Amino acid sequence: MSAPVDTDWEHRVRRARRHGDALRLTRLLGRAAGVTAILLFTLFPVYFMIASAFSGRMTSGIGTLVPRDPTLDNFVHVLTEGDFGLYMRNSLAVAGITVVGACLLSLLAAVAVARFRFRLRTSVLVMILIVQMVPLEALVIPLFLQVRDLRLLNTVLGLGIAYIALSLPLAVWMMRGFVAAVPKEVEEAAYIDGASWPVMFWRVLFPLVAPGLVATAIFSFIIAWNEFVLALTFMQQSDKYTVAVGLRRFFGEYANEWGHVMAASTLITLPVMVFFVLVQRWLAAGLVQGAVKG
Amino acid sequence: MGTPVGQAVDGHGARQHRRAPTGPPGRGRRASALGLRRRRALLPWVLLAPALAVIAALLLFPLARIVWLSFREYRLRNLVSGESEFIGLANYVSLFTDSYLWRIALPNTVVFAAVAVVATVVLGTLVALLLSRLRPVTRVVVVSCVMVAWAMPAVSGTYVWLWIFDVDDGIVAQALMRLGVIGPEGYNWFADRLFFYAIVTLNVVHGGFPFVAVTVLAGLLTVPRELHEAALIDGAGAWKRFWHVTFPVLRPVFAVVTILSTIWDFKVFAQVYLMPGGGVGGSEMLNLGVWTYVSSFGQRDYGTGSAIAVVLTLLLLGVTAIYLRALFREDELR
Repeated sequence: MSAPVDTDWEHRVRRARRHGDALRLTRLLGRAAGVTAILLFTLFPVYFMIASAFSGRMTSGIGTLVPRDPTLDNFVHVLTEGDFGLYMRNSLAVAGITVVGACLLSLLAAVAVARFRFRLRTSVLVMILIVQMVPLEALVIPLFLQVRDLRLLNTVLGLGIAYIALSLPLAVWMMRGFVAAVPKEVEEAAYIDGASWPVMFWRVLFPLVAPGLVATAIFSFIIAWNEFVLALTFMQQSDKYTVAVGLRRFFGEYANEWGHVMAASTLITLPVMVFFVLVQRWLAAGLVQGAVKG
Repeated sequence: MGTPVGQAVDGHGARQHRRAPTGPPGRGRRASALGLRRRRALLPWVLLAPALAVIAALLLFPLARIVWLSFREYRLRNLVSGESEFIGLANYVSLFTDSYLWRIALPNTVVFAAVAVVATVVLGTLVALLLSRLRPVTRVVVVSCVMVAWAMPAVSGTYVWLWIFDVDDGIVAQALMRLGVIGPEGYNWFADRLFFYAIVTLNVVHGGFPFVAVTVLAGLLTVPRELHEAALIDGAGAWKRFWHVTFPVLRPVFAVVTILSTIWDFKVFAQVYLMPGGGVGGSEMLNLGVWTYVSSFGQRDYGTGSAIAVVLTLLLLGVTAIYLRALFREDELR
């Protein structure tokens, strides 16, 4: 800057710059406020749940905002007297059946729709898409009758099989994307090396879609772990409750001992959150892909 | 339309046929070319069979059975004996002449879904727009936090909101008491339909907006910068730029997000059922899904419950049909 006198335009430029700085500052502050609001809204319930779970006997909600002497009492009570450990084992068993079944069936089906062109292929895909729109509350009555007739009420197997059906539509759509992403040339190379279709499937395709299988497994685990209506209907003996249904026992039974409810809620939520962070990339993509692409 | 199925163009996969002779020698000797072709055509169906069997037995067959049940008198004694009698449209007649449907259940379902969907999509879009303006590192951190809300299971999420809004000890009640908005005797907002559904909406939007935000954000990042810059030079304000540039480009994304949210919000169950008064027959808080459940498993009238379920399913199929039509129209446009 060598100009001895502030010419008019230099003055204007400087003023504009100052104005720009102010504008940028307001924008920055606006964004910061927005981010704070989002984080408060999303994280507060989670924080409040965990804080309540770790605080001792509480009489007021405001008192638990900042837990003073954290304690594990609620968790101990819920897991021992509350039988929540049993419910978690039941849920794990059901989820195990669901994960194995959904992964196996969806992988086979996904190979069929992603690798072969056959008559009715599009119809099958659209049918699978439409089927998942059917409300579970509508299916629960006939499913209940069916499971009862098969004498599978109050069994882990009956609930697990129903959950396989629930998770299959979306699982097939997710897996389809993963199978389609494997280049066909890889398969062809295996055939040239003399592999039969099953050998190619097991040795070549399977390892390549393993990440997709992990995503599908986690996805179906979350479905089985969270599901409420069917578990409420099928599992009528308290020793067969899953976590979602077992949680209801802490509500009201001890005159709303919120510490217990929140401790059990935390135990339900944490595994889902861990898995969710692992699977989120595929989940959003899978949901949209299933919906956007024919 | 995405066609990930290699380059096979003709109806039955020319590539597979060409590849067939390179299969294992033993099989090649046994089967004629025609047999191989037939086997190739069968293979996808063999692979699909287990999944389709499960879907047919546990989703399609029950769907047919619920329609069948809705035309029958089916109560606890029928449940025991296994026999039921055909009563024609009687269940539907009594359902459609029941003022409970028109006064309570239908508004609770449709109005709630409309409000919740608009709130979810608007909030999700606003969050996505904000996220798209953040630096990548900050964005990843905020997105992860938003994901936490999505991961919250409906059951535990509902209990947390119940605790926050607890009538006596809840944090909201106590804060309002200290501010003097409500007296020390408290106020039972769970008995008020508007408040009840306001809390349900809060719960559902909290769990539903992350999906919208993440999906719209993914779309926003694909909108070419030049479009925005051109609009900016033309003097378009923020709202105009969103409405005339971003929205048209992302229309398919918004269509998907809106319709998926609609379908989810029509089916809300645990978020209502677990609330005080939300699972009791005759209470004015039930929506169609909960009403189905309460009529069947609470009042043991499976016929009426099935009729309600059919109505709910038809409503949802209507939404789905609109959804598919919107999607296919988008495809033609592209």
